[in-house]
Amino acid sequence: MAASFWESTQRRYWMFSKEELAQMREKLCDEDPKLVQSYPFPTGNICTSTSINYLEIARLGKRLSVRQQVIATAQLYIKRFYCKVEIRRTNPYLVITTALYLACKMEESPQHIRLVATEARSSGQISSVLIRPGWGECEFFLISEMNSQLIIHQPYRTLATLQSDFYLTQDEINLSWSIINDHYVTDLPLLYPPHIVALTAILLSLVLRPNSMTGASAANNIAAAGAALAQAQVGRGGMGGSGTGVSSGQTTPGAPSTTDKDKQQEVRFGKVQRFAAFVAESQVDIEAMVDCTQEMISFYEVHEQYNDKATRDQINRFIKARGLDKA
Amino acid sequence: MSLTNPHSSSSAPSSARVQGMKRSVQAAFDDPSDRGLGSGYQSKVRVVDRYKVIGFISSGTYGRVYKAVGRQGQPGEFAIKKFKPDKEGEQIQYTGISQSAVREMALCSELANLNVIRLVEIILEDKCIFMVFDYAEHDLLQIIHHHTQNPRCPIPATMVKSIMFQLLNGCQYLHANWVLHRDLKPANIMVTSAGQVKIGDLGLARLFHKPLHSLYGGDKVVPALHPAIDMWAVGCIFAELLSLRPIFKGEEAKMDSKKTVPFQRNQMQKIVDIMGMPTKERWPYLTSMHEYSSLGMLQTPMMHHHSHQHHHGSSKSSASTSHLEEWYYRTIGTHAGSSTSSPAHGNPNNNNNNLASLGAEGYKLLAGLLEYDPEKRLTAQQALQHPFFSTGDKVSNNCFEGLKTTYPQRRVSQDDNDIRTSSLPGTKRSGLPDDSLARPAKRVKEA
Repeated sequence: MAASFWESTQRRYWMFSKEELAQMREKLCDEDPKLVQSYPFPTGNICTSTSINYLEIARLGKRLSVRQQVIATAQLYIKRFYCKVEIRRTNPYLVITTALYLACKMEESPQHIRLVATEARSSGQISSVLIRPGWGECEFFLISEMNSQLIIHQPYRTLATLQSDFYLTQDEINLSWSIINDHYVTDLPLLYPPHIVALTAILLSLVLRPNSMTGASAANNIAAAGAALAQAQVGRGGMGGSGTGVSSGQTTPGAPSTTDKDKQQEVRFGKVQRFAAFVAESQVDIEAMVDCTQEMISFYEVHEQYNDKATRDQINRFIKARGLDKA
Repeated sequence: MSLTNPHSSSSAPSSARVQGMKRSVQAAFDDPSDRGLGSGYQSKVRVVDRYKVIGFISSGTYGRVYKAVGRQGQPGEFAIKKFKPDKEGEQIQYTGISQSAVREMALCSELANLNVIRLVEIILEDKCIFMVFDYAEHDLLQIIHHHTQNPRCPIPATMVKSIMFQLLNGCQYLHANWVLHRDLKPANIMVTSAGQVKIGDLGLARLFHKPLHSLYGGDKVVPALHPAIDMWAVGCIFAELLSLRPIFKGEEAKMDSKKTVPFQRNQMQKIVDIMGMPTKERWPYLTSMHEYSSLGMLQTPMMHHHSHQHHHGSSKSSASTSHLEEWYYRTIGTHAGSSTSSPAHGNPNNNNNNLASLGAEGYKLLAGLLEYDPEKRLTAQQALQHPFFSTGDKVSNNCFEGLKTTYPQRRVSQDDNDIRTSSLPGTKRSGLPDDSLARPAKRVKEA
């Protein structure tokens, strides 16, 4: 359970294939297609209904100055909840606030309900009349839809254990950490185990470094990450030989380098090699990492065009029209 | 209002009133499947449809426990723990589910071990939480109590051994999964009629591997979150199984009105009386414990036959001398005599089934568990591999094996069979200090 992700309810009940996820959402939509059509969200690669939550919850979390793990837990609660309940039947702001309140308790940093309510209100999410009866009900609703399975395994822990193995610099750790934060906007936490996400984040932190971004495009980044993973796969095929041997068949930069920049790049290259060797030797699902990498990179692309306001407007429309804001 | 127009707070009061009227009308026409707000959360399963309550077992600060059988063909018997909504009596108002209930629900949903009580399901209905567990006929408190009744006679050695092994096995599972129980005591250790020991009541349990120490600081490592605290408790339970009374029975110092956590002087004295004063030599980190300075308030231990021996230079070392060994042999020795005189309890065919047969390994295990220094204290894993279990009588996974004693069944009263009424006196479980510290001291502005 708590120690082993493999026996956890998270792995047994809350990991889905992309097809399963699509089916679940389709089913929700089929229950009342008219409702869904009346309040369309701007389309895009991001699952809209959850990305708005991400933004809101991060905002509220910041106001309450809770730890990132609490925010992440709340984000996953919301994601799970909206796999089972059509968002347009709920008041997302109430769900967000309640999820954060619940996550605070679960992650051992309890906040008083009144404090959460006050912050939610002053951030303009919830009107005062909503607070009293709505809360408890919503909390019951959340817990019930999640079958009381509230313990969340997060990639942060894997990152913390691996950072020294890969000699990550503080910059790389920070970048990995924010990539993990960002993955909660996507469907990835419902698709892949936390260690896959953590490893992907580490890999991206190694190949996406700002100084490597000379004219960097997403394609370049994918190529870089993909190369590392392909290398890992090759390494695994070859009897999982010793880690350093893997580099042989790959494009190595000119051996004697003089400039600092070259040196830096060599250090980083060494890290990527090391990483690839690690992945090759471990039992990690490389296919999953490839997909995870692609999802993250395409998320960053799409994210730039994402229209927060359009989604927010749509949410406010259905809340108002359907009277979901009443106490 | 503020939802559609987040910044126009000035218009709030009037629009709220108008909306309030609109709402009540609108409520009548609402799509009943709109949930999460307003039209009400409805449980998909109803407790009374699934279970037939056959009696009331006990009540605690959290709520009440009922005995029940399934109505829909579920085999076996069940114990349903009902958490009452906070602040009952007045108008039922949500203040949210207590943290201890949240922990218990979440942890029990993940755990699965032979020696940990099994959660069957959780039903959230009518503002109440119903946690359905497998029923256990006995608990250690009951069993210990039964042995103090006339004639007072010790628990058979094989039974003590089996209980300890199963209890440690359950602990090992919890600790391997980063769960601290934090409330191990005889009343929370269930025993089924098949002699299986089940650790119950995880209301104070929590995960101890959170926080992430190395990254993004700010999280302090709480010394109280160490699995060794459970192992001390297991040592106390072991001692109580032997002597039939709590080994360190102190009086609790209550929190004062300022909510400062008091030094448990009386309790600590009882411990020191038997274990001797803790010293830096025995426990290197002792001096960094925040109540270290309070130890000076304690009297040097007074074991009757030792009290007048040392006066001068060696007084410090005598103060720190442990009297646990004497305690142990006195306990199993006395009982050895009385046990043979009352064959009603132990196995009459096995004259060796008295506590004396636990021998020196029993003492070593006890001393290993009641070790001051948490780093030196036995872990559950180490304790399971202790020679205590591999020497002497074989350990059975049925603690009643070979015994003729039958223990009284759990008393179930018929006074309150209505699981759905919610008229309970309102008290709230007082959390541990680490919980209360996290709560904001005072209400935040107007609520």
